[in-house]
Amino acid sequence: MSRNVLLTLAATVGTLIAVSIVVVLMVVGGDRRVLLVGATTDAHHQLELACETCHSAPAFADAEAAEEALNKTCRDCHEDALDDNDDSHSRKRFRSPRMAAYWEKLDARFCTTCHVEHRPEITRESAVTVAMDFCVACHSEGDQDIRTVRPSHAGVTFDTCANCHNYHDNRALYEDFLVRHAGQPWLKAEPVHALSAQHRAWEPPAESAIGRSEAVAPASALADPSTIDHWAGSGHAAAGVNCAHCHAPDAAENNLQKEVGESWIHVPTASVCRDCHRQEVRTFALGRHGMRQHPQIAKPRTPETGLASLGVDAVLPEAVTAWLSDPAPPTQMRAAEARLPMRDDARAGSLDCGTCHEPHAVDIEHAAVEACASCHDDPHTRAYFGGPHHALWLAERAGEAAPGTGVSCATCHMVKSKRRGKVTTSHNQNENLRPNEKMIRPVCLDCHGLDFALDALADVDLIVGNFEGKPDVHVESIEWAIRRAEAPADALR
Amino acid sequence: MIGTPLTFTEEILLLLLGEEDGAFLPVNSNAFECALAGATLMDLAFALRIDTDLESLIVLNGNPTGIAMLDRILAKIAAHPKVMDARSWVRLLAGEEAGRIREEALASLVDRGILEQRERRRVGHYPMRDGTAQRDIKLHIREVVLADDIPDPRDVVRIALVDACSIFPEILSEREIRQATPRIQQLRIMDLIGREVAGAIAAIQRTLLMVIQARLARFRKYVLAFAAISGVAALGTVLIPRIPIPDRFGPTLFERLWGNGAWQEWSGYALLALSVAGFAAATLRRARFVSRLGDQNWWRLVHVGLGLSCVLLLFAHTGFRLGSNLNAALMGFYIAALISGACAGVLMGGATQLRRLGFAQVGKFSRIPMRVHVIALSALPALLIIHVLIVYLY
Repeated sequence: MSRNVLLTLAATVGTLIAVSIVVVLMVVGGDRRVLLVGATTDAHHQLELACETCHSAPAFADAEAAEEALNKTCRDCHEDALDDNDDSHSRKRFRSPRMAAYWEKLDARFCTTCHVEHRPEITRESAVTVAMDFCVACHSEGDQDIRTVRPSHAGVTFDTCANCHNYHDNRALYEDFLVRHAGQPWLKAEPVHALSAQHRAWEPPAESAIGRSEAVAPASALADPSTIDHWAGSGHAAAGVNCAHCHAPDAAENNLQKEVGESWIHVPTASVCRDCHRQEVRTFALGRHGMRQHPQIAKPRTPETGLASLGVDAVLPEAVTAWLSDPAPPTQMRAAEARLPMRDDARAGSLDCGTCHEPHAVDIEHAAVEACASCHDDPHTRAYFGGPHHALWLAERAGEAAPGTGVSCATCHMVKSKRRGKVTTSHNQNENLRPNEKMIRPVCLDCHGLDFALDALADVDLIVGNFEGKPDVHVESIEWAIRRAEAPADALR
Repeated sequence: MIGTPLTFTEEILLLLLGEEDGAFLPVNSNAFECALAGATLMDLAFALRIDTDLESLIVLNGNPTGIAMLDRILAKIAAHPKVMDARSWVRLLAGEEAGRIREEALASLVDRGILEQRERRRVGHYPMRDGTAQRDIKLHIREVVLADDIPDPRDVVRIALVDACSIFPEILSEREIRQATPRIQQLRIMDLIGREVAGAIAAIQRTLLMVIQARLARFRKYVLAFAAISGVAALGTVLIPRIPIPDRFGPTLFERLWGNGAWQEWSGYALLALSVAGFAAATLRRARFVSRLGDQNWWRLVHVGLGLSCVLLLFAHTGFRLGSNLNAALMGFYIAALISGACAGVLMGGATQLRRLGFAQVGKFSRIPMRVHVIALSALPALLIIHVLIVYLY
């Protein structure tokens, strides 16, 4: 056999082997990171090992079905938030046949029209993968021509739309809202974040408090007196939460020493926290910190399930099973995996409830500032310390200012809401992060005027410097809204 | 005819067959045809049917020889209106009769039981049924060439024919060829027809060489130009900063090329089709059905042209973005194949100019990019299939 024939044969065999390996990885199981066609966005990189979370269509499904399936997975995770934000370009609106003319321009029925994964070269802010002047597609002609509908916008170019507007959440720029908040001073007379004030002022009923003499735990767990001291001064003790509630959840509620000792768990998991802090644990999994526990993330494939989907029922050797099993993604986000700047000494840490909330001290003030800064190491975080918000925070902690006057990281980034008379904190810190105008209604306006808030959140340098000083940028939205409100009715037609 | 001695035509044909598989030795086709024509004339001369001098070849006796093929050629010479010299007859018969002479001589060798029957052999292969005849002829020629005796006139003819076809390496070792070369030169001009055969072959080869060189020079110019452009463009994929995707919404060409799935699908398949066509142009250019459409130089030019088209389509498909993971590997190998192919093309097309510039070893160095080209290409099928699978499965 000639050398050329041998080489051709070797290349053919090599091709077949390589293709077979990849097909097995795709259809049966195994580590598929090598198949990634581009870096996953910051929003999804934590779940890139679980391809089926987004790629849920069956193998070789037709393009239409695959696109529909892909978009359904977007909605499964994001639709609730979009509904909560009063999505101004909701899918429901664009599915109507009367909007068919717009489908050709920018098909708003599909998330993937504007958000395509694994395309870092065209991925812009908020994972948008079309040019940021995309409003031009629908708002540059006909009865949707913004330059005609809003004379104030006549000289404005489409590449500046996103400076003020957000495609999905436009609540900060509703005209009546702008007009209602016009003329406010930059700082209110009594700047207090109301929900924070209520939250910090809340105390459990005195009768539920228990003291160190009532702590029930095995002797070994009580060997370190600082542990019990911390607990005794914590909100848990004040609310009557005994050691066994967390460390021996399976023990009977009568707190008998023997039963507690038998069921004792030295390091309880987040599932124990969920028993009492259901809302906090649920929202934690919706944000970047707890995303690894998001309920919609696909489970790793096993070779058995992969082969079964092909109609093959086989028992594989252990080594093959190990190779054909999807790598299990870590159950917790690690600081080392973060794409934001993190402190070097924090990189080894992972994120669960105890990362921010020291389990025995349960110091929510530590969790609101120091816990954040123990990992995050970006200019905005560093500038907070010594800045105006931090000074207010220190004053409140020192008892020199009223509750709610201090501004912590959590004040802005962890939205508080009131339900049935009780203030809860969303642990989804992404809820109001982007676009930052989302912060205006629930946070900024408690202390600042809308005009100042709009300007401040549009000034990138001011944000980086954590609001040291006044904004150099001015957003004219309020003036435009007032002019429109005051204009004669026929001028608006 | 069985039992009669082999004709010169049969002997030279037998010597031109490989001992192992019966395939014809890789002999220049013009030399092969001239040798067959010359052998036929020698057969007629030794049968005392024709005679020749420096200026003319004439028919002495028009009676049949009993060998159909020789009689047909004899009749053709006799019927020819003009008297021509031996060299002219060699060239004329080589052009008009060589194929038929070959088939008739092969059939005769089958009838003699020397070659296998037609139904027992592969196309283009004429395995020996009995290799004794070929072996005996080779041994005889060897003895004559290496001896100092005055050879028999028939042996002079044999030596002239073997030398014309350049198949002494099949009979003598390299050392023996070096030793016998002066005697071969001396013997081959002893026979007039043999000398004319050699002369005709040399004249044809000189003419052909001039034509080939002229055509090659013309092709080389284009090959050099195409390859140089391809090389620069392919190098640009690595060195030139990426053209940014337009930051203006709207159906611009670049936005469609790199942002529209359907356009990318079409450009991808077009790239695949051109790549396969380029591969086919390079690998099938020697195949008979392909060579009818154009000679190897033309197909080489087609290959280089397709390579250049691939560079342009690669730009349309990727914007020269290298991608990640296996896509990056695919781009890496593809660009390596393009650059190495372009280098090989430049070395081939610009060989004359490079030699003039003092790069005497151009031919030797051209093997390096060619090997890189082949290695890079060998990885592409797997990576391309995987690339397509990823697109359709995810």
